Amino acid sequence: MTCLPDKTDKKLGLLIDLNICVGCHACAVNCKEWNTGGITGPMEDIKPYGDDPSGVWYNRIHSYEFKKEKEADRTVYFPKSCLHCDDAPCVTVCPTGASLKRSEDGIVLVNPDVCIGCKLCSWACPYGAREYDTSAGVMQKCTLCIDKIYDENIPQERRVPACVSTCPAGARHFGDFADPESNVSKRAAEFDGRELFPQMETKPVNKYLPPRKREKHEDRRLTPKVSTVKDALLKWAKLDFTG
Amino acid sequence: MHPALSVIIFTTFSGMGYGLFIWLCGNILNGTAPDNMSIVGGTILSILLVGTGLLSSTLHLGHPERAWRAFSQWRSSWLSREGVMSILTFVPMVFICGQTYIDMGFQKLIEPMAIAGIIGSVLTIFTTSMIYASLKSIPAWHNIWVVIGYQIYALSSGGVAYIMFSDWQQYLYVILLLIVALALKIITWISIDKHRGKYKREDALGLPDFGKAKPFEPAHSQKNYLQREMGYDLDPQRRTLMRWIALGFGFIFPALLLYIGLPITPVITLICLIGMMAERWLFFAEAEHVVRLYYDRESV
Repeated sequence: MTCLPDKTDKKLGLLIDLNICVGCHACAVNCKEWNTGGITGPMEDIKPYGDDPSGVWYNRIHSYEFKKEKEADRTVYFPKSCLHCDDAPCVTVCPTGASLKRSEDGIVLVNPDVCIGCKLCSWACPYGAREYDTSAGVMQKCTLCIDKIYDENIPQERRVPACVSTCPAGARHFGDFADPESNVSKRAAEFDGRELFPQMETKPVNKYLPPRKREKHEDRRLTPKVSTVKDALLKWAKLDFTG
Repeated sequence: MHPALSVIIFTTFSGMGYGLFIWLCGNILNGTAPDNMSIVGGTILSILLVGTGLLSSTLHLGHPERAWRAFSQWRSSWLSREGVMSILTFVPMVFICGQTYIDMGFQKLIEPMAIAGIIGSVLTIFTTSMIYASLKSIPAWHNIWVVIGYQIYALSSGGVAYIMFSDWQQYLYVILLLIVALALKIITWISIDKHRGKYKREDALGLPDFGKAKPFEPAHSQKNYLQREMGYDLDPQRRTLMRWIALGFGFIFPALLLYIGLPITPVITLICLIGMMAERWLFFAEAEHVVRLYYDRESV
């Protein structure tokens, strides 16, 4: 049923720390690796080794340069996948019931046996989280590795989405945002967890931690202060090493 | 948005079909209906136009054989509601056509069926427009002009088709409607052009307080589905040309030809339909999806 549940028992999702992400694409690669052999696989790959490869990815790593006056430029690596929104517009537009949001954990899924491939859900998503599989004629999207996080044959500590378990920098966290005491809720509260595109009123479950505010010493790169020998000596005298 | 021919045909053909049927039903209720054979001809053309439109829309699907499933989610989905309404509206269409062709003794039901036909057609056009107008992710569609426009263009193009069957009766009303439709189209374009740039890339990234963002390394080397489907780049010159074709063929030429009274109503109808297809092509080509903010647009 494509009506959204009034409330989901859990809100499973990802917390992505933009301050830590190094843009290595390992999460996207492991996502494809896991899911192409998982319940939603195979993931489409057209001419993967040719000049014009294309195909479905549930996770793609963008990167941006931010310029702000009186600050040094920053590079922000920006992994983007389905945000498993509470008010998911992709679910309600679906005419067949293929798109659904689970009431138990809030995961948004596509049932490939019912999808007619009208692509309307991908139009409704502001984030570009859904990609169409031209070979199978159905829509594809991130499942939060539903076939991994609930697999009892896997040790408990490894039951996290493939993107989370592979991240070498520890920039990705998985947990229940409905529980204020969960790892992700606490981290999101402490480090200013953000929603993507709040103007779209989709209430995304996934949150992003913004790059941290710059410490004082970082600003020196933009406007290096020439300190005199006297100043330096005074600082040493005070044993003050800040600034 | 990528202007797919199947969807352009879907909305223009079915719009004209429902518009024509509304004109027929209105005149049946008004007591000014043309002769029986014209009613039969008119309803058959309505059915053909709507049927072609609906069939064409299934060509857009990855699994046309599963299209029947689209009738199930009418509680949440405008596309599903559109499917349900379009099928229901076939009932008065087929009834009026059949009963007028061979009197099956249900003549009393003609008027209630004509009322049902008008309500069904208006609701079907409304549900079609809401498929697009409900999408917040496409600002050019998420406005009232789309909802009003779909009704008016269906009535104006259907009115032009109705002239073929009504022996030029009420042609002045059709001309009036074409002028209204023309004005509405221009207002719509002014409105969507003025409202461009409402959403910024920094909003999409959730980082409005970090200065100006510019893409650095692309997320992938080749265009992906999102860019192919939603990254249509409309050349400004082509836009101007298509806007003139839409206005000229869709509204101005049909109005002028009807005013002159040239006895080539099928040709006028065809001109109008071509104009509406140009209008609908622009409806897609001009509509920018906010997902472009993650790619090549600073604002949408």
